Amino acid sequence: MKIKIAAFTALFFIAVTWMVESCKTSEEISYKPGALLWGENCARCHNAPSPDAFSDAQWDVIGTHMKIRATLTDDEVKKITEFLKSGN
Amino acid sequence: MKKILFINTFILSASLACSQDTLSLQQQINSAKPGKTHFLFTGYAFSEFKFSEDGNSFLAGSFAPIFLVKPSDKVFFEAEIETEFEEGELMIELEYADINYSIAKNMTVRAGKFLLPFGTFAERLHPAWINRLPSKPLGFDHNGVGPFSDVGVELRGGLQTGKSKTNYAFYVVNGAVLDDGMNNSATAGMLMYENYEDNNKNKTIGGRIGFLPFSNSSLEIGISGQYGKVGTDKTIYENVFAQMFAADFSYMKSFEKLKSVIDIKGQINMVNVDKADYADTSAMGAYTFDNKNTAYYSQISLRPALSKNKIIQNIEAVARYSSITQPEKSLWAENAVQWDFGLNYWLGWRSVLKLAYQIHQPEMMKQENIFTVQMAIGL
Repeated sequence: MKIKIAAFTALFFIAVTWMVESCKTSEEISYKPGALLWGENCARCHNAPSPDAFSDAQWDVIGTHMKIRATLTDDEVKKITEFLKSGN
Repeated sequence: MKKILFINTFILSASLACSQDTLSLQQQINSAKPGKTHFLFTGYAFSEFKFSEDGNSFLAGSFAPIFLVKPSDKVFFEAEIETEFEEGELMIELEYADINYSIAKNMTVRAGKFLLPFGTFAERLHPAWINRLPSKPLGFDHNGVGPFSDVGVELRGGLQTGKSKTNYAFYVVNGAVLDDGMNNSATAGMLMYENYEDNNKNKTIGGRIGFLPFSNSSLEIGISGQYGKVGTDKTIYENVFAQMFAADFSYMKSFEKLKSVIDIKGQINMVNVDKADYADTSAMGAYTFDNKNTAYYSQISLRPALSKNKIIQNIEAVARYSSITQPEKSLWAENAVQWDFGLNYWLGWRSVLKLAYQIHQPEMMKQENIFTVQMAIGL
């Protein structure tokens, strides 16, 4: 029984350590530009929109809508929205 | 003296006119400023023509306006109204209307009627300008196998977990209602979704966890579940519960050699309702059955988007297989399999002309073949 508790405790700490460690954004991801994230994320469901399709204010609304609907991360949405605004 | 008075009057008039011009310009600039409240009217629409052995017909299609309002950085409202003609009548449905509040960077709470994250088809892929085929997979429409939308509260968000990503959504809703067959014995045991008022005190819980293991977000795997009472309080069905599970996947990748983008998607929904006795009004007796329902689909599309030819890069080929299995001993089982083949031409990033051929094979019945032409647009 003690062995089982010890094994469970060890596994639990390994799992927690892995989760905490993995939650850190890797450098590779943090340097990704908005244009790349736009291509990778929008096209998962629909064609990637043209940056000149909407105004800056409208991109703000769409960014929030997509953050909620497609459960994108906050950083992704900020970068993608900035990239789309730069097309106006 | 008169000359001085005239000059003063002239200068005053000129300066007044000038200041009015400046004011007018300032008003124009102010009116062009978006302000803090951002609003967007969007949505989608489609129209189609169907050829089948039963007849050929233009169908009015559907118009689904979507209203998005962002009053502040933390608050957001979305609503969609779906309008379509069905059997000569204009049907108007509230697809969703929910208020969202951003609690933290990667956590949003929302309340109202919302599309449920039970898999991905209902929530992300069903709009006509996103769905690659004119039809929905078998069992994936409203009141299919598994929920489409419901009324309640939800917590959701997306997290960067190293090079991979994880997203989550957990909700509490009214839940499905068990049809007890009192109004129509032929539908006894069916689940009715999208109930604005609950039929019992119990609330239904559910959620989805999605995992994107690759840093380019090309693959997403998700699992979903929902559990709750479906029987009406103070009836013989008050202890009837339903367990629902779904698994979904999506994989998208560009292949340089094929000059194409390949998109593979799929989902399986399973709904199990506790066994119960139902009245058979025609035989004046009671009967029961294993109330287990399954629907699944898998779809592949290929678009030579990397081709230099502008016409070829807008063509897309799609194939989908879907299946629905319902309880054999129920009076409403409609087991069937379906193949859909499509050829699309993208006129823009959100407008598409779809040509599709469907082979629908119901169990123990004659096969139906339908050819559909659909024009869909995202607004």
